[in-house]
Amino acid sequence: MTQISMTLDAIALSSYTVKEESLPTPAASTAGHLPIESLNPDSDESLLMKVGDQQCTAAFNILFDRFANRIFAHGMKITRNEQLSKDLVQEAMLIVWQKAPLYDISKGNAQSWIFTLTRNRCFDILRKLKRQPNCVSADDIWSSESGDIDAYGIAENDFIDVEFVQIKKFLIQLPVAQQAVVEQIYLHDKTHEEAAAILEIPLGTLKSRLRLALGKLRQLIGTEND
Amino acid sequence: MISETKFHPSTELLQEFAAGTLSAGLNIAISAHVEFCELCCHKTSEFEAKAAIDWLQTSEKHSSSDYSDMIAKIVSQPQQNHIEQQDPSLSEIHMLDHSVSLPKVLAKAASNGLVWKKLSGGIKQAQLNIDDETQCEFIYMTPGSQTPAHKHQGSEITLVLDGSFSDELGEYNRSDFIMRTNKDVHQPRSDEGCLCFAVLDSPLTFTKGIARLLNPINNYRFRRSMSQRAV
Repeated sequence: MTQISMTLDAIALSSYTVKEESLPTPAASTAGHLPIESLNPDSDESLLMKVGDQQCTAAFNILFDRFANRIFAHGMKITRNEQLSKDLVQEAMLIVWQKAPLYDISKGNAQSWIFTLTRNRCFDILRKLKRQPNCVSADDIWSSESGDIDAYGIAENDFIDVEFVQIKKFLIQLPVAQQAVVEQIYLHDKTHEEAAAILEIPLGTLKSRLRLALGKLRQLIGTEND
Repeated sequence: MISETKFHPSTELLQEFAAGTLSAGLNIAISAHVEFCELCCHKTSEFEAKAAIDWLQTSEKHSSSDYSDMIAKIVSQPQQNHIEQQDPSLSEIHMLDHSVSLPKVLAKAASNGLVWKKLSGGIKQAQLNIDDETQCEFIYMTPGSQTPAHKHQGSEITLVLDGSFSDELGEYNRSDFIMRTNKDVHQPRSDEGCLCFAVLDSPLTFTKGIARLLNPINNYRFRRSMSQRAV
């Protein structure tokens, strides 16, 4: 709950304008090619994407500040060993850095992503410490790490069958650039390539906007149902 | 994989699985079930998100260290732009007359090979060395086999991988996840043959039962003190 309301605050704070009627014009959607314009730039998700897209060390430093002590605390809880817990901070944050380009916001928030990779590294560290056979690792057990939630059967089209009318009220809460993408793909049944051509944006930009939009919609719909 | 699972891990077990506090043996059994079972798959994702929230709400313990060297070392590393494909490993167990494809995690755990031992009553067993808290094994019941009635000293988890078996409490098919405690006496039998993966409390920890398994650290300490005494 905390996270959902945080996200909503973040949405409320960000500066885009809501466009109620009519399809957004292509011109409205071509501004900027960064996929993070709609998120609070200070959110964990924005920072993580900056680390992934731009190798931004400043953003990584902030994430490190926010999470290192949490990771350390998790290590202490599981191993009760200060040195191992420091090792865990190093291993987990190294993976945050290395895998940031693979982070996909539509598959979960940054906190869950960092928590699961911390849990997994901790499991492996503990097994190594106990000299248990290395036939299985955390990545074999929790196959969804690195955001591969499709393996868990949650696909992008999870909510497509929700009526578009119901979607509309959530849709208008998105930045216009993202609305345009969602409408082309889901209302007009365009392929990604066609939609990118219609909106005159690069395919990559379209895909990241779509991901962001779906992630946000999922959050909004989830909040509604609570 | 579509199947009509009738028996699932308890909510508590799935929560512990998502939080990462179970023994490796139990994690493997649950992971294999989750690969079969879409419902438990969704639940696991939900519990992971909840575990992350709990994690953020725990009181912070500050480490005294200065992390600037660590950060500098990390950001000098290259980043990954694609998901690494895992090596294919053993994915099938060849039974007498057919092959059974295994859930990913079990295929990996068994990739060093299996040694089958014949037990009484038409039962075969192949043990896996996973951890010190549990005894993990594949059990193959040949068609028409029946085990003697028995009771477990600790708890036993059984995941059906192929075929079916039944006991006094029900009939179990592929993907069913069954947990028995030391109170249950049962006498499994299988008419068509059955391949299972079973996780039992190790002899060292059985007196404490499954509760022991929920706390790997205590287990570790317990183990260590035991082995020190043994030396």
